[in-house]
Amino acid sequence: MKILLLALRSLRREWRLPELRTLAASLVLAVVALGVVATLTARMEHGVLASAAELIGGDLGVSAPQNIPDAFATAGRERGLAATHTASFPSVAFAQQQSQLLDVLAVDATYPLRGTLLIGDANRRQIVSHGPGAGTVLLDHRALVALNRRIGDIVQVGGRDLRIAGELLQEPDGGELVAMAPRALMSLGDAEQAGLLGVGSRARHTLLLAGEPAAVQSWRAWAKSTALPQGGELITPEQTQERMRSAFDRAGAFLRLTALLSALLSGVAIALASQHYARRKTSEVSLLRALGTSRGRVLGLLLGTLGGLALPAALLGIVLALALSQGAWMFASQLFVGVPTVLPILPSLAAAGMGIAVLVGFALPPLVRLADVPPVAVFRASMARRIRRFDALYLIPAIVALGLIWSLSGSATLAGILAASLLGVAVVAALLAALLLWIARRVTPGGHPALRLGMAALARRRGLSIVQATALSLGLTALLLLAIVAPSLLDGWRQELPSDTPNWFVLNLQDDQRADFTQALARIGANQLNMMPLAVGKLTAINGQPIDHMTFKDERAKDWSDRQLRLSWADALPPSNTVIAGHWFTPNPPQAEVSVDTMWRDMYALKLGDTMRFDVGEGQLDARVTSFRKVDWSSFRVNFFLMMDPTHANALPHTWLSSFYMPRGNAEALAKLSRAYPNLSLVDVDALLDRVREIVQRVTGAVRWVLGFSLLAGALVLAAALATSGQERRHEAALLRTLGARRGLLRVAAACEFALLGLIAGITAALGAMVGGWWLGRSVFHLKDFVPHALPLALAALLAAIVVMLLGLAGTRKVTHTPPMRLLRAE
Amino acid sequence: MSGGSRPVLEVRDVSKSVNGPEGRLDILSDVTMQVNTGESFAIVGASGSGKTTLLGLLAGLDTPTHGSIQLDGHALEKLDEEARADLRRRLVGFVFQSFHLLPALTAEQNVMLPLELEGNPAARERAREALEAVGLSARRKHYPAQLSGGEQQRVAIARAFVHGPRVLFADEPTGNLDRRTGRHVCDLLFALNRDHATTLVLVTHDLQLAERCVRSVELQEGRLEPLA
Repeated sequence: MKILLLALRSLRREWRLPELRTLAASLVLAVVALGVVATLTARMEHGVLASAAELIGGDLGVSAPQNIPDAFATAGRERGLAATHTASFPSVAFAQQQSQLLDVLAVDATYPLRGTLLIGDANRRQIVSHGPGAGTVLLDHRALVALNRRIGDIVQVGGRDLRIAGELLQEPDGGELVAMAPRALMSLGDAEQAGLLGVGSRARHTLLLAGEPAAVQSWRAWAKSTALPQGGELITPEQTQERMRSAFDRAGAFLRLTALLSALLSGVAIALASQHYARRKTSEVSLLRALGTSRGRVLGLLLGTLGGLALPAALLGIVLALALSQGAWMFASQLFVGVPTVLPILPSLAAAGMGIAVLVGFALPPLVRLADVPPVAVFRASMARRIRRFDALYLIPAIVALGLIWSLSGSATLAGILAASLLGVAVVAALLAALLLWIARRVTPGGHPALRLGMAALARRRGLSIVQATALSLGLTALLLLAIVAPSLLDGWRQELPSDTPNWFVLNLQDDQRADFTQALARIGANQLNMMPLAVGKLTAINGQPIDHMTFKDERAKDWSDRQLRLSWADALPPSNTVIAGHWFTPNPPQAEVSVDTMWRDMYALKLGDTMRFDVGEGQLDARVTSFRKVDWSSFRVNFFLMMDPTHANALPHTWLSSFYMPRGNAEALAKLSRAYPNLSLVDVDALLDRVREIVQRVTGAVRWVLGFSLLAGALVLAAALATSGQERRHEAALLRTLGARRGLLRVAAACEFALLGLIAGITAALGAMVGGWWLGRSVFHLKDFVPHALPLALAALLAAIVVMLLGLAGTRKVTHTPPMRLLRAE
Repeated sequence: MSGGSRPVLEVRDVSKSVNGPEGRLDILSDVTMQVNTGESFAIVGASGSGKTTLLGLLAGLDTPTHGSIQLDGHALEKLDEEARADLRRRLVGFVFQSFHLLPALTAEQNVMLPLELEGNPAARERAREALEAVGLSARRKHYPAQLSGGEQQRVAIARAFVHGPRVLFADEPTGNLDRRTGRHVCDLLFALNRDHATTLVLVTHDLQLAERCVRSVELQEGRLEPLA
């Protein structure tokens, strides 16, 4: 207690020291940067998840091939969650002479809980609606065209006459990419009464829930601990649609990366400031030790001072972070709709905790070493220096940094890449700085005196110069990664969905229709045409053992073996597929071969060389597994879990699946085409594409916003770090002024010094950001062929040198004005 | 040294006041004096008598509130800080009570500083000669923290003389040294003053040291009096 009071008194006296202010400012900045980024991230993840919730029509759900037990809905209601039931099934609709297989979704009146159901009425007005009432049905454009009906007409579904109440324009579930049939929405009551959901039906039932995040989480935890119905699965926003998920994952990874780099920047500033503080305190500590203060007491005093500084700084950081987050959110909130407006406090508290961990981790080593100063150093300052070739204490900041990287990155890959890149940058920067200083010390006097003075200034603070160059390099790498690489990453990500991405799919194209249909498409202006053969079959045995007699750990395996499978084949490996084991098909193999997607490999525990038996049409085909493929399901191309070798598969009964791009506003031409080829199913995925593009746009906007903030935090921390040598510089400047140095000479010398420092930092940072960005792009953001542009990075390195020089000059502006009289006054 | 040559420092009616928390404070009042070329001149006074302020004004580190100071024919009060810096570089050397060596530079590098400011290409050789003159050749690679107080002050003296200044200002040069070391340092200071024909202006409260100078004056509450 006594020592704490002593520490607080010492803090009050020392509060004016620039190092302590830098230390406090760095902590405040660290907490603010971490807090704001974490708060925005939390809100944005919430926003992103809310967008995902819009896509599934609820926050969470459960689906199963039979009725969902009441316990699930009851558990939701007990937690204050709203619930809605839906069922989807195929059914044939009849209208006079026309019939069409429809993909029907039966919903109750509360559907959807999230997102928008948009319908068009007879006057082509768009109306936001809920589930259709009893006796009515909503049909999408394809269904209306196929059945040749209009709004207000009657169609028969499941033996019941239903009035078409409107055209289905947009539903929360944007539809599966290759839906087999046109879409219809009817009332759940009608479907039940028509016997469409009875025993033996192929309906899949879903219960969707929505409400407060805490209640949703609670239900989720409950559902996970409860046995799901046979063949049932949880529907979560994260796993709803693979394409969306991929976008969310990248956004999440990027936001975490931003927060992480901000934290590391603060650590760098704290390390610099505390080293300086320790140097300044050396004489005081040696005096205390000489006066009989024990080492432990000195350490307690130092830690007490640090604690007394950290708490109010962290509190201020929390308040500022909350205020800024609130302000920031007011600007950013239009990006996401439907996110709760309550300001989350936890991220800021966690940020304060992390900030204090960074402070302790980075400030501790110099302070502990300071307590080691021997009492004899009071007579001779050189005794305070203990030369250690290796100081284990300096592993602490490395461990704290690794801990931060680990906890904030959320991914081992991201953590590994970042740690390796930053370590590489640190080593290269330190070596480069040491080399330059070595040259500076040996260079014979010559050239402009300012350059020599600048070099001499760097050389005379050799240790600090190396630390500063390394710190600046790390800081700049972080900033360059964010500023240069991130937008490229985001652009690359956006470019994955170019404007001519195929937006129509055609199913059921027959062999003899291919040529005519291709010409017809060309006539109406379609392009990017791609055709794949498609056979429909069933998996019946693996290695000769009937699938019905086998048991699998993965519950989905059973479900899939009951379903019709889509098989396709091609000579070459399709784009967005990578063979990760085995080899792609050799020409004319003696036995049929199959290439399997990794999800299927895991689901059925398949190995290379296993044999899979498929029933296709009337025949059977035994195919040997010769390769496993990793498929990028986010690519918007038609992909297949199973691909056969063309030699054997060509003999299978098959149709063709085609995809093409058709500019918007050609619905009439396509409707005509649809009538000319009545057997074909044309699927429009524009709505889904729009949805993905919108999400990517929203997330990109938000990420850029957070990025801007981190850049600002980084620049401030960097400036604070540069200021740590201010005291020494002031003394030096006063002496040089006394000896007759002109202010201009001092300024040019400082400019040379900082420009050199900036150049070392800029070059290593550009290299680090280039390698790190390329690595991150490939391994974390899964952007193939992503290479950060070298020219902007080179320019950024140059700019960094100029900015460091200007920041350094701004930081030392007052220094050149130090009155020389202070030397005589021994200040 | 001879006291009959032309004056290198002429001070007329110089006053210096500052605004403190308790209002205006007069540190120096109507100081008039003259120091001739090659002369050794001591300003003696108790703590707080204004010695250091006067030294700062004489060396052009500060400007007077009233009056004029001519350093080698240049009216310091009419020059801006940059011009005074030029003058200091060319004409002036300093020795401080607390040495003021740059801790990160070796003895040799510290001595090289004034020459580097001039852009002198032979800085290293000249610095070595200066260190030899103060008997510290063997210590040229040492850092200030590795030198004793007396050695540090000898390095400071080498730095003060290395560029051949016309006037050397010394502020309590023995203030931080023991009597014996202080005497050695003073011997060195006066020897160099003699050998280089440099004018020496020193501020001290040590009367014995003041007696070694050709002329001495005493500052009492900001006013100059002949040394009693």
